[in-house]
Amino acid sequence: MIKYHPTQELLISHSGAQLPLSLSIAVSAHLEMCSECTTVTKKITAQQSALFEAQDVSNNVNFSSMLDKIFEHKPDLQVEPKKTAINRISVAGNNYQLPRAFSHFTDLKWSSFGAISRARVVKDTDNIRASLLHIDKNSAIPSHTHKGYELTLLLEGTFSDENGVYNKGDFIWLDNDLEHTPFTKTGCLCYAVQDAPLRFVSGISQALNPLGQLIY
Amino acid sequence: MIVRIAHNSTDITLNNTKFNSLDGEQLKINSWLKLVATKQDKQAFSELFKWFAPRIRAHGLQRFKQEALAMDLVQETMLLVWRKAVLFNADKGKASTWIYTIMRNYCFDMLRKKQTQKEDTISDDLWPVIEQQTPDDNNDHLQNRLLLSHLGSLSLQQKQVVEAIYLQEMTQQELATHLDLPLGTVKSRLRLAISKLKSKLEADLD
Repeated sequence: MIKYHPTQELLISHSGAQLPLSLSIAVSAHLEMCSECTTVTKKITAQQSALFEAQDVSNNVNFSSMLDKIFEHKPDLQVEPKKTAINRISVAGNNYQLPRAFSHFTDLKWSSFGAISRARVVKDTDNIRASLLHIDKNSAIPSHTHKGYELTLLLEGTFSDENGVYNKGDFIWLDNDLEHTPFTKTGCLCYAVQDAPLRFVSGISQALNPLGQLIY
Repeated sequence: MIVRIAHNSTDITLNNTKFNSLDGEQLKINSWLKLVATKQDKQAFSELFKWFAPRIRAHGLQRFKQEALAMDLVQETMLLVWRKAVLFNADKGKASTWIYTIMRNYCFDMLRKKQTQKEDTISDDLWPVIEQQTPDDNNDHLQNRLLLSHLGSLSLQQKQVVEAIYLQEMTQQELATHLDLPLGTVKSRLRLAISKLKSKLEADLD
């Protein structure tokens, strides 16, 4: 059961194609797993479409040659069988099938640090970075805070932190200065988007601050 | 599994009526797109073009602030509409929303291209409009799940009736015999259950 969802603002921005790629991937993958948010998003898109149609437009633009160019092409006469590019990955001895939003990323390069494996997915402009993270079972990520926000979409497995237990499909948005220590009993695969490096805060794990750079 | 609730004259196919009751303009747009899809009708496409081209251009100007890019967006969106019209499925929504989503997707790819200089077409993975209009009706599926999620709000007696009739596909008479109840009791329980489900779903969709 999914308990954590994107805010309505995020759904609106996603539906309007106004999010950076890294976040749109997260929202899209969440929608694939969450029928409630899919229903809401369909309504949002219908509203955006209505607004788009209600725009004031000038009719003084000459498009005539464009129509001729379009008619040079032949329309498809039937629905072609859908090509489904399923992106299967293998990490730390586990096999997973990624959501459709990840179909494009077939060339993931994994690097490991102890129980944590990471593959960079996108590096957007504006300093946003997104990675797939795999954490082995019975492992913790040392206590850390974020300078910016951290979005975690749980793709497989479960994990918990000071705030609760998270399940597959949960869309967990943390703003800066929130300290947490995620732990996973089952092992888990997440998609994480951050806009600034992690900072490890407690005791010896401060020595791990370079790890923040790895995960980030 | 498809849960169809059509009981006496109470036909609730659980769609948001606001989206389905098309006004005259939307009906015209739907029928134009259908003509393009079934007959590759150039006249109908020209009508669509006349309606959408200035709107797509205005949207493009807003997003790109450049006339040339806005015109690209018009051309590429309308070309996709022309070529892919056969994929439009009127049961899933309005033609204008379908065209809007095609524009939205192309716009996203254009913006990506501008930022990264890469020829990515990733939008179809993020918003599967064009390729995913399969006969397998995802929409029904979602509504079924939504509907099933509300079964818990019924009383045990109501739930029993709904499940027997719509999930196990028993007739009302069979169910009455099975439960050893008068047929009228089964009917009235079903009627109450359906009106309750209907109000729950309407609350979801509002």
